[in-house]
Amino acid sequence: MNYFVKGNPDLCIGCRTCMIGCVVAHEGKHIFEIDPDSYTFNPKLHMVKTAKLSVPVQCKHCENPACMAVCPVGAISRKGNAVVIDTDKCMGCKSCMDACPFGAINMVPVAGSSQADGSEKVVANKCDLCSGIPSGPACVRVCPTAALTLVTEEELDSAMEKKRQEAARTAYREMYPQK
Amino acid sequence: MKKEIGSFVVGDSTKCTGCKACELACFTVHSRKENPVGKTVGTVTVPVTPRLYLTKFEGGCMPIQCKHCEDAPCLNACTKKAITRIDHQVIVDQEKCIGCKDCMQACPFGAIALLPVSKGGKVVAQVSGETRVYASKCDLCQGIEGGPACVRVCPHQALRLVDPEAEREEKNIRAAEALLLTKNWR
Repeated sequence: MNYFVKGNPDLCIGCRTCMIGCVVAHEGKHIFEIDPDSYTFNPKLHMVKTAKLSVPVQCKHCENPACMAVCPVGAISRKGNAVVIDTDKCMGCKSCMDACPFGAINMVPVAGSSQADGSEKVVANKCDLCSGIPSGPACVRVCPTAALTLVTEEELDSAMEKKRQEAARTAYREMYPQK
Repeated sequence: MKKEIGSFVVGDSTKCTGCKACELACFTVHSRKENPVGKTVGTVTVPVTPRLYLTKFEGGCMPIQCKHCEDAPCLNACTKKAITRIDHQVIVDQEKCIGCKDCMQACPFGAIALLPVSKGGKVVAQVSGETRVYASKCDLCQGIEGGPACVRVCPHQALRLVDPEAEREEKNIRAAEALLLTKNWR
């Protein structure tokens, strides 16, 4: 099963540290030392703020990913426990963006690249679960209120098992209230 | 720094009946300027050249048209620089196009077809006498009042004009609200 990062709206205070952590993890710490206009700030998760809540939304790394199914050039694949985009293959057709029901994919310019008309390449961008970064998802690590959790197969399975046992015990108590 | 991206039209094979009203409307609105094409069949004296293509497949049918890619393979492949981006849309210049077919081969959707050029109610001939052709693809009805004609005429609302970034933000909000329901998953 793929893993995914999940935000808790009760804990999130909307500080956007996760977005900064994401960019630092993917771009490097030098972003703090360079001119802010010289690079594009492209986090792979999106802070949502409404009257009811604040929480970041990111890729769920679906088991049957719609984005992967619609990609005409095979730029989206499963790698380890994540669904990842090969930005070299991506040609920015936005099909994945349209297919994703969570709005987890956006289109971002690739710094230093150029198309035939001189403009920058613009490609699909989404959470890769910090694939290749040994310490795991940066958003989870940097969140000051621990509002983000990496959900693994083991954790999800054990939570489900726990709930099934609880459901079974409840049903048993209803059948045999005396015991 | 927010990068604006191009809109596009998508078809829905669950609603499309294959009537080709989209193809006809597309041809009509794009031909009015150069050709005396009116609103009745009798006024069409030139080949019908749509910019989207009704496609039949084992699952049904739907029109296929340009996605206005952000790193457009057709634009990058065009040696004549006949394909440019205008207001975030990928546009073919019919005058500049020499019919080299590179864009057709580069497009992964088959959204481009070589079709005859018509002017003044007649097809345009080359020196050889053969018909001049051009790479015909969706321009999202740029400059045409009311927006994409295919979307407007479809009797089954099987075509949708997508504003990808606006839709993404809406989907984000729904996803965030769903997190309220799953927050106690443990």
